[in-house]
Amino acid sequence: MTAAANTNGSKGALKLQQLGRRVGRQQLLESLSLTVQPGEILALLGPSGCGKSTTLRLLAGLDPASSGQILLGDDDITATPPADRGVALVFQSYALYPHLSVERNLSLGPELRGTRPELIKEDINRVLDLLQLQDLRHRKPAGLSGGQRQRVALGRALLRRPRLMLLDEPMSNLDAKLREELRAELQHILRSIGAPVIYVTHDQHEAMGLADRIAVLERGQLQQVGSAEELYRRPANSFVAGFLGNPSINLLSLRPGLLIGLRPEQLRLAPAGAAPASTETSLNAQLTTREWLGDRLLLHLSSANGPLKVMRPSSDTLAAGLQPGAHLEVQWSRGDALCFDARSGERIEPS
Amino acid sequence: MAPALLLLLAVFALPMLQYAWLSTQAQTVLTELEPQPVGLAQWQRLLQDGRFWQDAFQTLRFGLCSVGLELVLGLAVALLLNQPLRGRTLLRTVSLLPWALPTTVMALGWRWIFNDPFGPINLLLAQVGLPTVSFLGDPAITWLSMVWADTWKTTPFVALLLLAGLQTIPADLYEAAALEGANRWQSLRRITLPLLSPYILIAVLFRLAQALGVFDLVQVLTAGGPAGSTESLALYAYINAMRFLDFGYSATLMLAAFLLMLLLSGGAVLLWLVSRPRWAGGQR
Amino acid sequence: MNRLLLILWSLGPMLWQLYTSFRPNATLTGNPMQGGWTLEHYQALLGGNPPFWRYLLNSGVVGLSSTLLTLVVAVPCAYGLSRLGRKTARNVNVLVAIAAAFPYVLLFLALLQLARDLHLGNNLLALSLPYTGLSLPLAILLLQASFRDIPPELEEAARLEGLGLWQRLRWVLLPLMAPAIASASLLIFLFCWNEYPIALTWLSRADLLTLAPAMARIAGSSVFTVPYGGFAAATVLGSIPLIVLVLVFQRQIVSGLTQGAIKG
Repeated sequence: MTAAANTNGSKGALKLQQLGRRVGRQQLLESLSLTVQPGEILALLGPSGCGKSTTLRLLAGLDPASSGQILLGDDDITATPPADRGVALVFQSYALYPHLSVERNLSLGPELRGTRPELIKEDINRVLDLLQLQDLRHRKPAGLSGGQRQRVALGRALLRRPRLMLLDEPMSNLDAKLREELRAELQHILRSIGAPVIYVTHDQHEAMGLADRIAVLERGQLQQVGSAEELYRRPANSFVAGFLGNPSINLLSLRPGLLIGLRPEQLRLAPAGAAPASTETSLNAQLTTREWLGDRLLLHLSSANGPLKVMRPSSDTLAAGLQPGAHLEVQWSRGDALCFDARSGERIEPS
Repeated sequence: MAPALLLLLAVFALPMLQYAWLSTQAQTVLTELEPQPVGLAQWQRLLQDGRFWQDAFQTLRFGLCSVGLELVLGLAVALLLNQPLRGRTLLRTVSLLPWALPTTVMALGWRWIFNDPFGPINLLLAQVGLPTVSFLGDPAITWLSMVWADTWKTTPFVALLLLAGLQTIPADLYEAAALEGANRWQSLRRITLPLLSPYILIAVLFRLAQALGVFDLVQVLTAGGPAGSTESLALYAYINAMRFLDFGYSATLMLAAFLLMLLLSGGAVLLWLVSRPRWAGGQR
Repeated sequence: MNRLLLILWSLGPMLWQLYTSFRPNATLTGNPMQGGWTLEHYQALLGGNPPFWRYLLNSGVVGLSSTLLTLVVAVPCAYGLSRLGRKTARNVNVLVAIAAAFPYVLLFLALLQLARDLHLGNNLLALSLPYTGLSLPLAILLLQASFRDIPPELEEAARLEGLGLWQRLRWVLLPLMAPAIASASLLIFLFCWNEYPIALTWLSRADLLTLAPAMARIAGSSVFTVPYGGFAAATVLGSIPLIVLVLVFQRQIVSGLTQGAIKG
């Protein structure tokens, strides 16, 4: 464990400086600059093909960077081979060795790296305890459930005592219920590593629930970095606004050159013809369909400016009593509306 | 990768180059087995050699007939083995056995089975009062006996290939066809054969190449007889080299056989490509 | 009914050989229902000079050494090819597939020349060289397809854990390839065991003959008499090892054959 012990002592921040990757003519990642502190969890969020997995592979050293630098603590690891970076990666598919038992899956790496057998045994027991895998140590991956496999993959990464922890959509192979359950546990474990953690996902709930900060990527370009609340309240552009929030934001062109962003949950309903308060704006619309979501109602409306979604609590008697085809007023506080430049998509502070 | 490449070159490419060179040389007992350049004389000799043309015809006849027969029988066996039968694995194993045996072993066996009048087939014919057949002694019949023996040995190979192809065809295609009222023959023609065509092509190419190089079977079963009626190009080339010690001509013959094979395989690929657009898109 | 026909077609000729091999020569030209049983054909074969088992042993030695050599050469090559881009690999594979289908009998003269030049004749282990060359294409195709079936993340995970190329092969990739290696080995072994024209020209000493040329020599020894009892016993003895092999390993053999076709 000598190498790992050394790296364990020097956990530093991860700094990406104008990192880029281009394959042929395709720019997969463009000039990404980010800093992640030790113990911090950063989620890389974006639709498929946005460059988040590319970033992860660059950090792991599985693909070479075409430009920029990766700094880990005081070391420039841009050109360091993957094995020497002290990086652990939990793969989306978990990449467990199918022919080896749980225990051997964990011990193969340290064994071949020449770690002392007693140390390996001790470490493995610690990790198996932590992840509640003791009873499964002799099973093969094929005999494990999705959640158990994920924990083994996590255990393998923990054993590495990483200076940088990377996770590639570790929840995407699990069913929705299990995901919710595992989130808090995973967050706790990831924080305990004390290294920078990068967590790739396309699921905004996961990113918001797990990460300290979220970096939104689209087409290889960083759109915005910040806390979930910042991204939600002050999105840098219409893409971020549209990507976060469920149901997604309404984007209406009420005025030429401008897109107005209205969160469905910030909209209120009033009977047709009702006048808005002085701080509010109102729009006439007609109900097309209604979805009952238990505690909430999602209403789909059509207006002269395009379709609209409105989310109301089920207790809203007006919303609950409406029939399709009914006319009504949609109202919102002017302060809640987000303004975007229609051409560039950038957010504009209302004047 | 380097050692593999070297070996491949040494075993496949080098011989072909050597033949190309040797086919412009005379190397016989008359030249005291030293090569002497003769230009294209060997090729002229080839074109005027009746035995070459006869052997080329016989080899082609054998190749086309046996591959055709193997394809039909192989498809039948594959369709049988593709059904959910009891003991299917055992059946597959049993039907595979003929393929695994050395050609020389089974050729020797067939010599006895084809024996006139003491082989089992002729014993049966005699039993029911029919005249016996000279399976290995009649030039008009012997080549068919050879096709028979080859078919027996290689049908399992073709059947397995086609079976693998059949198993890639999703069952719901047949269910959909059945719902539309297709009968078994129609779904074989409209679904099975088109989707199987890449596998059929592979089987045909591989088997055609092997059948046109037929050697072991001829040498042991008939030694090319009777009256040279079953001699193949490979056997003729072998005889030229080993019996007549005419190496230059032997090399010329082998190159000619190789070219013939290329021509036929190219034809088969072309045929497939031309007929493909009708069901293009469904390929893996 | 169909099944019965298939079994009869496949096994009939073999069963007839088995029956013949136990019959005295004199009864073979008479009524097949009369006459006794005998072991004389087997005794003659096994007591001959060289005894028949010698051929089986020779074939076994050549088969094993060639299989081993082929694997040693083919595994790294297949690994290298499987890590090439799809397009490049496809072009290489077309060439390899052509070599795999090549009627190798046409090569015998050049290979014989090679044996003479390098004094490799009458040497069982030297025979492994051409056999390895001839089996390589199929082995490369099979192993490469199987390397490609292993998800790349598995190897990447091992790389991140600090495993070198050799360690990855030894501990991660090869164990996963065991079925494919078994299939390829069996097909190579079968090919070497059955190979005829090269063995025929490279070997002339009777005690070094492998099964296939030995069989041909037995067949050629007496064209005009009818020692078919002895022939039949020879075919039975020559078939038994392979029948056992097929019965035991039929799954691997079938998968090897079909994988070669599907992926090649």
